[in-house]
Amino acid sequence: MATEVLIPSEKSGGAEFDIIIIGAGPGGYVMAERAGHLGKKVLLIEKEYLGGVCLNWGCIPTKTLLNSAKHYVHAKEAPDFGVTTGEVTFDLSKAMSWKQEVIETLRGGIGFMMKKNKVTVVNGTAKFLAARKVQVGEKVYEGDNVVIATGSSPFVPPIPGADQIHVMTSTDILSIDTMPESLVVIGGGVIGIEFASFFSSLGVKVDVIEMLDEIIPFMDRGQAKEFRKTLQKDVTFNLGCKVTAIDGHTVRYTAKDGEEKSIEADVVLMSVGRSPNLADMGFGEAGLDFDRRGIKVDEQMRTNLPNVYAIGDVTGLSQLAHSATRMGEVALNTICGRRDRFRMNAIPWAVYSMPEVAGCGLTEEQAEAAGHRIESAQLPLTMSGRFLAENGKKGPGSIKVIKDADTDVLLGVHMVGAGVAEMIYGAAVMIEAELRIKDIQEIVFPHPTVGEVMRDVMFSL
Amino acid sequence: MATEVLMPRQGQSVESCIIIGWKVNEGDTVTEGQALCEVETDKATFEVESPASGTVLGIFYPDDADVEVLKVIAAIGEPGEDVSALRPETSSEDSEQKTEDSEQKTEDSEQKTEDSGQNTADREQTLDQEEGRPSSLSSVVSPPSSDPSGKVSPRAKNLAAKKGVNISSVVGSGPEGRVIERDVQAALEGRAELSPPAKSKAAAGTAVPQAGSGIGGRILLDDLADVAPQDVASAVAALDFPGSVNEIPVRGVRKVISGRMLDSLQNTAQLTMNTSADARTMLDFRAKCKAAPEERAVGGITINDIVLFATVQTLVQFPELNAHWLGDKIKQFEDVHLGIAVDTPRGLMVPVIRFANRLTLRQLSAEAKRLAMAAIEGTIEPDALTGGTFTVTNLGAMGIESFTPVLNKPEVGILGVCNIQPKPVMQQGGGTEFVPHLGLSLTFDHCATDGAPAARFLAALRQNLAAFDILLVK
Repeated sequence: MATEVLIPSEKSGGAEFDIIIIGAGPGGYVMAERAGHLGKKVLLIEKEYLGGVCLNWGCIPTKTLLNSAKHYVHAKEAPDFGVTTGEVTFDLSKAMSWKQEVIETLRGGIGFMMKKNKVTVVNGTAKFLAARKVQVGEKVYEGDNVVIATGSSPFVPPIPGADQIHVMTSTDILSIDTMPESLVVIGGGVIGIEFASFFSSLGVKVDVIEMLDEIIPFMDRGQAKEFRKTLQKDVTFNLGCKVTAIDGHTVRYTAKDGEEKSIEADVVLMSVGRSPNLADMGFGEAGLDFDRRGIKVDEQMRTNLPNVYAIGDVTGLSQLAHSATRMGEVALNTICGRRDRFRMNAIPWAVYSMPEVAGCGLTEEQAEAAGHRIESAQLPLTMSGRFLAENGKKGPGSIKVIKDADTDVLLGVHMVGAGVAEMIYGAAVMIEAELRIKDIQEIVFPHPTVGEVMRDVMFSL
Repeated sequence: MATEVLMPRQGQSVESCIIIGWKVNEGDTVTEGQALCEVETDKATFEVESPASGTVLGIFYPDDADVEVLKVIAAIGEPGEDVSALRPETSSEDSEQKTEDSEQKTEDSEQKTEDSGQNTADREQTLDQEEGRPSSLSSVVSPPSSDPSGKVSPRAKNLAAKKGVNISSVVGSGPEGRVIERDVQAALEGRAELSPPAKSKAAAGTAVPQAGSGIGGRILLDDLADVAPQDVASAVAALDFPGSVNEIPVRGVRKVISGRMLDSLQNTAQLTMNTSADARTMLDFRAKCKAAPEERAVGGITINDIVLFATVQTLVQFPELNAHWLGDKIKQFEDVHLGIAVDTPRGLMVPVIRFANRLTLRQLSAEAKRLAMAAIEGTIEPDALTGGTFTVTNLGAMGIESFTPVLNKPEVGILGVCNIQPKPVMQQGGGTEFVPHLGLSLTFDHCATDGAPAARFLAALRQNLAAFDILLVK
């Protein structure tokens, strides 16, 4: 028995499955696909749809709707670039049905990948019985390894009136059938800002109420301010404010100076954060170590129970789809006896608002707090010929880079502007490879591209 | 044509020196013989003088760099001359560019090192001819600084140093288990890639782990032993050591000491015996010396000198303790070459008084003082730090009452000298008198000799110290 624990990789413990994965989000289904590809016998349990929140109620539907909004905005701006259009209107039901088509296409794609890699998919709610045993309905499955990838759900704070029908979570608001006239967004994080950007660009009056002094808390402070100022032409920001109650359609809040204020809104979006899905799955009874922030794991995604792993939002480490995917890969490598660890220093992130925001690595504040002597530089995206041509002279955007002044190593890259989410992975490569500014200066960037600003800013350090 | 400034070879056992500090900058005008920089071997410090007059065109290694002997460290010439060709491939500037061309150069210089190693071997052979088989007296008398077994080829040693491989962890496949270049290459195999800044740092001599924490096990800056301060801080916080931490890389004298001490404790059967000697005669004699007229030049004779003298004279009668334990044989020496442990700012050093048994007390005292001062000032010649047959270490001035000296392998004995304390001694007619006694702690290698002979040596030494004045009569 001891060898089984030491070499969990190749020796099958005789269980029905090599790996049981609970949850088919971007953590669970990608891991299932990769494990199946390696010839492992995999069981994937999902209570709703393949793809999880990301595909069905998160990343993908929001990006689809934001793309429709971008088309709307571009059409309205088209005359500036020599294109005359007729009256520009937005058809919510058309946008919504395209969103649904995208979701179903991708969902079908995942289903196909599961079949192709011989992953057994079971629909139902899982109950974790003990290490190796998971129950779905009446049936108990046994696996040498169990991976918990149960994700997270929108957190609704106990504010009086938060239970009304027009107070929605991000999931609810993705299914609205009529455009509200006004919207109050509670919480200025990624989800709140993306919806604020979507609705405001379509002419909805939008107010954001945020408890902190600035939106998107993990963003570079200077760029966050610049970004907020760009959004401010369509969105009203109420920073440092705390919502106290929602009376019908009146959102009451305490302003920074202590004054009691209120805003009227057709719809209220509650986007103050997400909490890990930990309840009713037998985790406590099985002796799993977790608290309200998530299941405790080490760098190999191992929990306190032998051969039980946790990945994705449920760990509380990072609430990003691509983090979950990576965690799944780390868990799989660990199961297969391959050395790997979940590194968090180069995980890129993006906000798909108009303009977009993206970042990777440390901000100035984080770098200084970590003891680095830093140097930083920032350049506007209008330095790029392509960006200027496509976004105009006032096109908002910039790239900021931070380096360690002693070692010349790149520590962080922060971007604002149209399309930046597509280039931030370059920063992840550079940071993962621990490149120095002088090394990066040797990399060739294509011309004319927006990415060239990244190269230019390296030379201004 | 610019003139090369070479890292000089200081004694045959010295393989590299650390540049403590440059006294000139690039662009400075210097005259021949002017000191350019101060360098430190694992045993001493000295200055490198300019071989020519002219302008300093290039300084190829920064302060604190550990540079192999005979490498070009700087260039002197006319302003505007191109000295890039003189810049060595392992200097800090372009350390990551290890081209085949530079490999070739390294091979050549390794060849040279091999050759000089051959010369040494020849000399050893001559020395040992009377014993019928070539052995390595000099490698015993002057063991290589960091490697206790000594069975490492120079090429392997070079490669290991360059790539940051811990040579003691490498299993040798050469004759008699000698570690050869191929073994180091094998150890390097499977080692993960280094990130560019990590490579620069490793080239400066930091030990490199087999795998790091980066992508694909890539070795990052933080994975190298001498880590960035913030990581020390966080690592330390994680280990519950709050407050600032000072990390000191182990090198130079510290590295040598650690290697030798571990080797000594792991590879000998050493134990310590404690006794004390009546110190009245010594104290009396010391007082007389102090009071003597200046022209007699005995005022500087200390209790320690007296102990050294008595030890040397006693050792002559006990060759089993004036010896080396070599595993397959014991070498007993007719003459006493006495090592004296000296506390220096760089750490413990043990200069050797050659032919100590042939010196008078006054000569012995003067020689001990000269060597100790040179060790403290860092000007001692490296060869004066090797070749002892027995060692004396004195902690008495610090009030130590007894301790366990660690053998200076392959020596068979080391005498610890402790402080002088009053001891109650019963009088013949009854009653008790307090008599000052000097504490003595002898560590000996039970492989080479036994408890009774060691105790007999101590007893003889105790008698010689108690009646020290008799010893002077020759």
